[in-house]
Amino acid sequence: MNIKFLLVFVTAFLLACNFLFPQTPRATPGALFATPTEPEAEPGNTPDISPVGMKIVRLHPQDGDIETILAQETQKAVALGLMPVVEFDATWCPPCQAIDQGLQSKNELLLAAYSGTYIIKLDVDEWGWRDSTLHDFEFDAIPIYFKLDAQGQQTGEVIDGNAWGENIPENIAPPMDEFFHGE
Amino acid sequence: MKLHLCLNLLLVTILLSAVGVSCTTASSGPLALASFTENFVDVSLSLERDPAGNAVLSATFTPSDGHHLYSKDVPLKGLDGLGRPTLLELAAGSQMVAMGGLIESVQAQEPDFEPKALLVYPEGPVTLRLFVELPAGNSWIEDEVKITYMACTAYQCKPPVDGKIVPIRIPSAEMFASQ
Repeated sequence: MNIKFLLVFVTAFLLACNFLFPQTPRATPGALFATPTEPEAEPGNTPDISPVGMKIVRLHPQDGDIETILAQETQKAVALGLMPVVEFDATWCPPCQAIDQGLQSKNELLLAAYSGTYIIKLDVDEWGWRDSTLHDFEFDAIPIYFKLDAQGQQTGEVIDGNAWGENIPENIAPPMDEFFHGE
Repeated sequence: MKLHLCLNLLLVTILLSAVGVSCTTASSGPLALASFTENFVDVSLSLERDPAGNAVLSATFTPSDGHHLYSKDVPLKGLDGLGRPTLLELAAGSQMVAMGGLIESVQAQEPDFEPKALLVYPEGPVTLRLFVELPAGNSWIEDEVKITYMACTAYQCKPPVDGKIVPIRIPSAEMFASQ
């Protein structure tokens, strides 16, 4: 009799606890940097595909002129404690898509390398190559990353596929980690 | 005076002979139609003759060192959107008629890197050939071909060239046959 009463009591207690204190997602060990608590409306209404510990946004020409929207996105990045970086990519570019897939599939090496970054993606099919609207971004191959300062201006630090060779996380992660987090 | 005249005649004879030899050589080999370099690939177009005397349009694509091109059989908009085929096509309104499909000088192969299903040509030049029926007549004809390609390494891509129209000047069937 006492045992049955005890079981009912414990069950009711646990249910009450769960109701009163719902579980919150646990912080991922790699999530060292601030992340938005809820997905923001992305420019151009693209869905938020950011892995934990970083943020990815995609800008489109219809969002405004590049200088203005980069400044806006940089402000958001700084507010989140993230490093603003512009990445040029394209849907037809296998190396670009390989990196995206690695991040989306939560490859640990890539997540660690990209942690703390605010990646501003620009599709070259939309923005063009060597276009005057691109605000002095000069490149002839993709993917390529340009670091921005707190005002949304290029710092002059650039990295591209030449830094990692074959397009696998084991190759990509170390130079990207150094690029994003090195002194 | 006579010596001077003889020397001039000799010079003219040598020049005419050289021009004659040059023309004979040009007509017996492939006829260069056009060439250009765009997005890190050299492309040269020519008109060849097979042993049976048929006209063959050819395009040789030479990417920069370390770069590869994708198979002619990759879908026009890529495999699941990735990559672009290497293509030599007749432009809409061309007076030539394609006689069969594209023939590649080297076979496309599975790459050492992902995505493996996206077949690439080995590094180095690739020639695509297309048997064509030349238009009837006995004159030179302005025509156009369409070129598509994209050069990548295992870790970077250059912008694709999608259906670039290249103007060419081709001989008519009778002219080609008489050369």
